[in-house]
Amino acid sequence: MESKNNWKAWLYLAPVLILMSIFTFYPLINTFFISFLKNFDYRSGANSGFTFDNYGIVLGITEKVAGIPESKVTEFVQYALPNTFLVTFITVPISIILSLLIAIGINNVKWFKKGLQTIFFMPYVTNIIAVGMVFSVIFGDNGIFNFIFGLSGTKWVTESASWQNSMTILCLYIIWSALPYKILIFSSGLQNIDKQYYDAAKIDGSNKWKTTMKITIPLLSPQILYIMITSFIGAFKEYNAVVGLFNRNYTDSGNVHDLTTVVYYIYQQLEGNNPQMHIAAAGAVILFAIIMVFTFVQMRVSKKRVHY
Amino acid sequence: MEIKIKGLTKVFPGDIKKGRKDAIAVHDLDVDVKDGELIGLLGPSGCGKSTTLYMIAGLLEPTSGEIWFGDDEVTHLSPEKRGIGLVFQNYALYPHMTVYKNICFPLTNLRVEEPEKDFDAEGYALIVKLVKDYAKIIKVINASNLNGKINEAGAVNALCETYKISKYVAAKLYKFNFVGAADPKALSEEIAKEYQDKLNNEIAKQKNKGKTINDKFVLLTDGKPNVIRRKLTKDEMDALIREAARIVQISDFLDRKPSELSGGQQQRVAIARALVKKPKVLLLDEPLSNLDARLRIQTREEIRRIQQDTGITTIFVTHDQEEAMSICDDIVVMKLGEEQQIDKPQQVYKDPKNLFVAKFLGTPPINVFNGVIKNNAIYVGDNKIITSKKKLPDGEVYVGIRPEGFMVSKDEKAKEGEITLNVNEVLTMGRDLMLVCSNKEFIGEKIKIIIDSDVEAKVGATNLKLRENKVYVFYKKTEERIYF
Repeated sequence: MESKNNWKAWLYLAPVLILMSIFTFYPLINTFFISFLKNFDYRSGANSGFTFDNYGIVLGITEKVAGIPESKVTEFVQYALPNTFLVTFITVPISIILSLLIAIGINNVKWFKKGLQTIFFMPYVTNIIAVGMVFSVIFGDNGIFNFIFGLSGTKWVTESASWQNSMTILCLYIIWSALPYKILIFSSGLQNIDKQYYDAAKIDGSNKWKTTMKITIPLLSPQILYIMITSFIGAFKEYNAVVGLFNRNYTDSGNVHDLTTVVYYIYQQLEGNNPQMHIAAAGAVILFAIIMVFTFVQMRVSKKRVHY
Repeated sequence: MEIKIKGLTKVFPGDIKKGRKDAIAVHDLDVDVKDGELIGLLGPSGCGKSTTLYMIAGLLEPTSGEIWFGDDEVTHLSPEKRGIGLVFQNYALYPHMTVYKNICFPLTNLRVEEPEKDFDAEGYALIVKLVKDYAKIIKVINASNLNGKINEAGAVNALCETYKISKYVAAKLYKFNFVGAADPKALSEEIAKEYQDKLNNEIAKQKNKGKTINDKFVLLTDGKPNVIRRKLTKDEMDALIREAARIVQISDFLDRKPSELSGGQQQRVAIARALVKKPKVLLLDEPLSNLDARLRIQTREEIRRIQQDTGITTIFVTHDQEEAMSICDDIVVMKLGEEQQIDKPQQVYKDPKNLFVAKFLGTPPINVFNGVIKNNAIYVGDNKIITSKKKLPDGEVYVGIRPEGFMVSKDEKAKEGEITLNVNEVLTMGRDLMLVCSNKEFIGEKIKIIIDSDVEAKVGATNLKLRENKVYVFYKKTEERIYF
């Protein structure tokens, strides 16, 4: 019976599979392929054979221009990687903890629960570029933030702002825009926890804090793991927040591309008249490897702590 | 602990906008439970029995009425202050914790008020005492082997069970490695000396602080113990957990997760978790409804045994009359939030106060006929079944006859005290015969009666003699019993 009906299943899957093959699997494999090609020209497909130099150039090991040792310098290692790691390790834990607290809070109020859920979900349906522009107004030199805190003149997002200030606002902005989806997932997870566990905990004399730590969070651990992995991946791919907030990848003070993230770096390689497709591909593969390692580590570490 | 419930009422408010009326779940309930009794709240679903239980537990706030535990009113006390254990219908075991941790959880929240004790000294003294009989330790460890191999977990468990000690002490005993020692006697003397020294040091240390230790290891300041409020120590928790596990016979499953246990085992874990903090009252909410038929009978006897062993006052909610009848000291029959009858199980069956109680108890259920009272005689159709010496009110009534209240009569024509039924089927049930009959005055589908299997029964119109004590008469309007 099973094998007889199999072709039907494949038929249902066919449209998606065909589209995914063209737009996902082929580009994926092709990226790997291109990342090993020397002087690849994507318009003609011309190249000068296989090489590992693309990776060397991205990682700053190989000279970009042969014979000039100074050309080993790369923005990938100097700015893109540190910025990306910084953004990831600041925004992911903070946004997870915050959204968990907010979700538990919403779950515990009875009055206006629906309204609160809507309010906290609003940023999710708002365009990220538009919000970035709102942020740049709020944190502008004469913006409302400076006005409220009496910091007039402090530069946060303008070109002359320091790297530290720019990064602070960038992280704030990423955390803010990352909250709603997480709150949504946690809220639905919380609603699925049987109320009887709370009754049992009450009978067992457990206080609210202990019930949250020992009952609620362990029972929410599948959702927490899911959110952790997806938001780590999301944070590693951070790009549009930089565009939305600054529309550039440098500050005046550094006079270099010190706001670059990994994906920003990859896009940058494609700019101009002579796009460096092979360099961008190598960068993308490196990002892929980093994300894979992190996801693997997370799955490993969480194995004992997640209760399905 | 005696429980008194006075005028307990619970109303779930309705919603006028949606045209929903107030729901009265429990109405003016009065129950007294004596110390050490097992009482059953029995009724069909929606009769308010679980609501009553949750109000006693403190998870629901009563609309009015009072609940007393002994001399204390607990009506508005929070659940954790009531000193109760509650077993939920689907057990509500924490799925992410092992059985051990599940049972431990209530203990971690417990605070005790006791004279201050020196647990270190107690531990040292215990080891000094235990290592003297090193031969027994070796024997216990060797006996714990699994397929000829001794592993630590098994050995520690065996030591815990033998000596009734905590797993921490047991682990120490195991690690002394008497089994592998060349000269266990010398080893035991050496350890005994080491721990005696430790004990002496501890006593000296306390002496410097101006405290002495008595023979029960209570710290005395100027000869008086200090009462302190503290958490339980790990050793104490371990001992309590193991004791509770022993009572419900789950000692072998302590390391498992609830999902790795069968329904019956989960149920016992739930009871252990409820019992571990030694509550004054144990509440059980339909604890057997998730078990299969055989396990149900076994477990209900188990519950009875545990209840009798611990002597704990227990309230048991069920919709299964057989369950309630078999293990309860007293039964409270409820209907739509109102108490119908409180009595001993046999009494509720033998002497029902109204039609509902009569119908609710007994399998097969009681057979109810339309009847009439005329001149102090009770008729079902043309059959005059009973003539009472008492003065009875004339009018229409319900006549209920228990399935075992019939005897086959040899009379051709029905005499007084007999009823004529049309036997449709004769079913052999081994010990008994079940006759499926019909009668035009009968209310319901089929009359089921049970008679002795020695009697010959045939299909067709049959006269049956009635046992008067199995016949109950009720007013048609109020459904209250008419005693004749």
